[in-house]
Amino acid sequence: MSDYFAGIDIGSTMTKVVIMNEGIISSIVGPTGPEQRRLANKVMENALQQANLPFEAITYLIATGYGRINVPFADKQVTEISCHAKGVAHLFPECRTIIDIGGQDCKGIKIDLGRPVDFVMNDKCAAGTGRFLEVIADALGIAIEDLSALALKSTQPAQISNICTVFAEQEVVSRLAEGVPLTDLVAGILESLASRISRMVNRLKVANQVVVTGGGAKNPALVKALSDKLGYATLVPDEPLLTGAVGAALLGKDIAQKAAKKGLPLETKKRSLGEIEIL
Amino acid sequence: MAEQQKTEERKKRRTATEAASRIGGMVRAAIGGTVRAKQEGKKVAYTFIVCAYDEIIRAMNIVPVWTENYAGICGAKRDAERFLERAESLGFSRSLCTYALCGLGFDQWREDLGDMPPDAPWGGQARPDFMLSSGQILCDPRNKWYQAAQQYMPDVPIYDVGLPYPLYEDDIEVADVQDYYIKYIVAELRGLVKFLEEQTGKKMDYDRLRELVDLGERTWNLIWETYDLRRAVPTPMGTGDAMNTMVPMCFMMGTQEAYDFYLELNKELKDKIARKEGVVEDEKYRLLWGGGLPSWFALTDFNYFNSKGAVFPAETTYRMIEPIYRLNMPDTNDPIERLAWRWLGYWTYWYDKTKRRAGSEPDVERLIQYIEDYQIDGVVMHEAFSCRTWHLGLIWQLNQLRKIYKPIPVLILGQDGKQREKSRELPSLILESDIIDISSYSEVDTRNRIDAFIETLEQVKKNKADRR
Amino acid sequence: MSEPDTAMSKVEGYYQDYGVRARELKNEGKNIIAYLCSLVPAEIITAAGLVPFRIRGDVNEPITKGDTNLETIACPFIRSCFDLSVKGWYDFCDGIVIPHGCDSMARTYSTWRYTLGLPYSHFINVPHTVSEPSMEFFREELNTFRKSIGRFAQKGITDSDLNDAIELYNENRDKAQDLYELRKPDPPLITGTEMSKALTVGMSLPVTESNALFDDLLVELRKRKEATVSKAPRILVDGACIDNIDFIKLIEDSGANVVVDGLCIGTRDYLPHTDVGGDPLDALARRYLDKINCPRTYREKAEGDYEKDLASRFGNIGSLSEKFKVDGVILYVYKYCDPFGFEVPARKAYLDSLNIPVLYLEDEYSAGTIGRLRTRIQAFLEMIS
Repeated sequence: MSDYFAGIDIGSTMTKVVIMNEGIISSIVGPTGPEQRRLANKVMENALQQANLPFEAITYLIATGYGRINVPFADKQVTEISCHAKGVAHLFPECRTIIDIGGQDCKGIKIDLGRPVDFVMNDKCAAGTGRFLEVIADALGIAIEDLSALALKSTQPAQISNICTVFAEQEVVSRLAEGVPLTDLVAGILESLASRISRMVNRLKVANQVVVTGGGAKNPALVKALSDKLGYATLVPDEPLLTGAVGAALLGKDIAQKAAKKGLPLETKKRSLGEIEIL
Repeated sequence: MAEQQKTEERKKRRTATEAASRIGGMVRAAIGGTVRAKQEGKKVAYTFIVCAYDEIIRAMNIVPVWTENYAGICGAKRDAERFLERAESLGFSRSLCTYALCGLGFDQWREDLGDMPPDAPWGGQARPDFMLSSGQILCDPRNKWYQAAQQYMPDVPIYDVGLPYPLYEDDIEVADVQDYYIKYIVAELRGLVKFLEEQTGKKMDYDRLRELVDLGERTWNLIWETYDLRRAVPTPMGTGDAMNTMVPMCFMMGTQEAYDFYLELNKELKDKIARKEGVVEDEKYRLLWGGGLPSWFALTDFNYFNSKGAVFPAETTYRMIEPIYRLNMPDTNDPIERLAWRWLGYWTYWYDKTKRRAGSEPDVERLIQYIEDYQIDGVVMHEAFSCRTWHLGLIWQLNQLRKIYKPIPVLILGQDGKQREKSRELPSLILESDIIDISSYSEVDTRNRIDAFIETLEQVKKNKADRR
Repeated sequence: MSEPDTAMSKVEGYYQDYGVRARELKNEGKNIIAYLCSLVPAEIITAAGLVPFRIRGDVNEPITKGDTNLETIACPFIRSCFDLSVKGWYDFCDGIVIPHGCDSMARTYSTWRYTLGLPYSHFINVPHTVSEPSMEFFREELNTFRKSIGRFAQKGITDSDLNDAIELYNENRDKAQDLYELRKPDPPLITGTEMSKALTVGMSLPVTESNALFDDLLVELRKRKEATVSKAPRILVDGACIDNIDFIKLIEDSGANVVVDGLCIGTRDYLPHTDVGGDPLDALARRYLDKINCPRTYREKAEGDYEKDLASRFGNIGSLSEKFKVDGVILYVYKYCDPFGFEVPARKAYLDSLNIPVLYLEDEYSAGTIGRLRTRIQAFLEMIS
């Protein structure tokens, strides 16, 4: 009989769920809104549906991410540091450094023997996160998905001197009006973001292999700029948004196996996705 | 395009005096000199300015490496960021003194490479044989910086010189406490001499030290007399220049070169005064730089002030001398004791005057004196975020100054329709950024503030003029 | 359900309304002398017949009024203390004594003095190095303070007065030590939150009342048959004047037990004793300059050996970690703190050499950062479990 493990990662921008046994059975990615509890229910339902499983089939469920405390049906809450470390180490056993570029935060995690040993975070300032790109893209009237392609066309990235998102936005708009090519501006913005990220990550002793996850990992120009700034080659998983949820599920599997080995009961929550009161 | 303009502007920072324009070359030579000295096997020490040990080092032929200066150079060349980032990567917070961060980043990089960091400004900073810290009322980083650097240079010893001075208290006279302060300072300086003798394997030549201390004292007097010339209207030299001419005062005290420099500056200023040549042709506003270290990468802001007719005849920053003949030095031939008394005398110089004005305080009293001596129209302060030492208390000083000193008579219209005279305080301006971290600086914002301040000054001038 | 702890609830009361007892005493005609930092010899204030009162800040109170006179680049803890003072939270105080702890204190002395306009103020110039000349200097400086506060109290402070005060404070430290002993069992018999509150409150009371309170606490706590918490990773919190007990509570709520500390309102100030038997001022100088282990005091490099240097500078943390069987250290430093900020890499290196995991947190002085702290603390606890 197969054991199924679920991981739900409620980030500040995106919510991700995976259900796994040997591999990923189902996965859902959706935008996090203000009503995290209701959303947690919904994405869990969708994931179960996709997997064609009843909720009772889930042996263990771990919630992670910024909104992990809003998942009342989770058996355990674990920080995204531990979950990303687990997920990435599983996909890239040689990984020693993870850089997660999220919508509203950014993390660097040092791994040794598959476990996290040190980390740095920026969850205070938009300038090192996806939000930075959102603001700029908005100001330039471009879709975020198009940023990378534009940047890769640039031969002379502009130097953006302002590190604050708000001032950078002003600077970009005025430079555009001065006639600086859009491709150069976008490349400059990505370099600026890569600089901020590498500055933070350099507080860890970066070592190979370096893996980039999160929404930022889906931007090849950004990943390249980051790689250049750090002076290290970088790897990107096929599903860069799912590593947290995958790690959460795998940690659940560890807990279940540990309990089974010791002959102890596995403490879980009631498997019910009833209506949650939105307070 | 905007970047090109900025580079050109930077190249063209104008100094009012020829003397000030020579400083860049002098500093560069000095820095290169330290690297050469090291190669030649001379003893090289990391040193901090204003630590009463200049003459002591010179007397023992030790070559000082002024780490604050080097950081300032990196800042002025806008090449400090990579060193700041390196320090950050080692675990130091960016909120710490950015001179120290720059130095720590540089040192660790140099140790890591076994060579100077690539394209190090002006050839880089020599590795020291020992480091002279200072635990004194001046600054926490001076107590902790070299100790932190020792992690990357564990074989380099440190001597930490204690150099206290009593803070101003209402119920205590300096005379009550000076004996034990002097005793301690003398002991610390003697301890330093002993340390240096051990490190160099040579004994201190006290005759030579006596000569250099005497030269230092004469230099103090000369500097004071020279800066005093800036009282002239129009003023022949501003704070922009003084940020250069502070170099011999703070980095070359006890050398003939320093003395000669001020002799030439003195002559140059007298010439300008004779020809009524001021910093600007049309001098409209005379300002006091009342506190704060400058932004080393934005010294062109002084030119911007100048372009509006505003000049700075005086500043408190880096004015680290007072006339020796006013310091009540006792009659002693012991050069170490003279250094100690000079130290104490300088830091307590304004205390007596302060006691005679209600609500005053030494720093405030100093501002008032300069305002009166130099006929000042307004006060400018600069808040550098990473330096707590020089930048805590500036807001309070301005508030207190406004409270107790209202020298501007203005006419105001009373409710009865009659004109009355009222006393107003001087206009003041606070600029904000940092000493070398350029990311804290917004040129647009700074210039806006300067513009607004100039308008205020103009308004006050008009109100004053209306009185006639 | 057991009886509520009367001493513990007294602690809670004094903590929630910090200064209530001092205010009472003021109304009874006593003079209250406020002070900042562990470097002020409260013994001298007590010997003058005055009541020393340690000022603290409040992370839940946004800094507003204080900013009109004090720059925002000052240590945020000092800024909060100043802000509360300006807002009148400590208006029962007749004087303020500030030592040369750090730039944020030394360079704001005038600001404190003139803004608060209290009848008495004094700055104690604590030297930065430990040597015979500096001890001699400090002794004289303390004598200056003794004379100055004696003038204010209109009472000459004799050596006998000092010795009596020293004895009382040493007793206080003994009792604090006994409280610390209760943290050695696994799980500890007193939580970190309870302990921090007790120690904080202790510094807001006259020493005799603090002694009595600690006595009562010890009696009560020793009656505890079992711990109120379960086994969990044992944490040492290192840092400066961390008076935000919500932070301690957050660590404990995240699934750990804070069993010991290296903090100012903790082992830094509560453990070192003043020597008895000789000249009391000499003894006080020695305690406050040498025995108190604080980064602001420069320690000569031990025998020219860098490793030994680390051990002499931070050995107390290593020793406490061993005695209290610590699983991890959380080093909590406020932004703009130079004395600790410069030491972070060295402290970490030292703890690494002992294989003690360390989490370094740089924070602002604000209740708003709790969410960010929670994730980091939890991640650290996950890492060391």
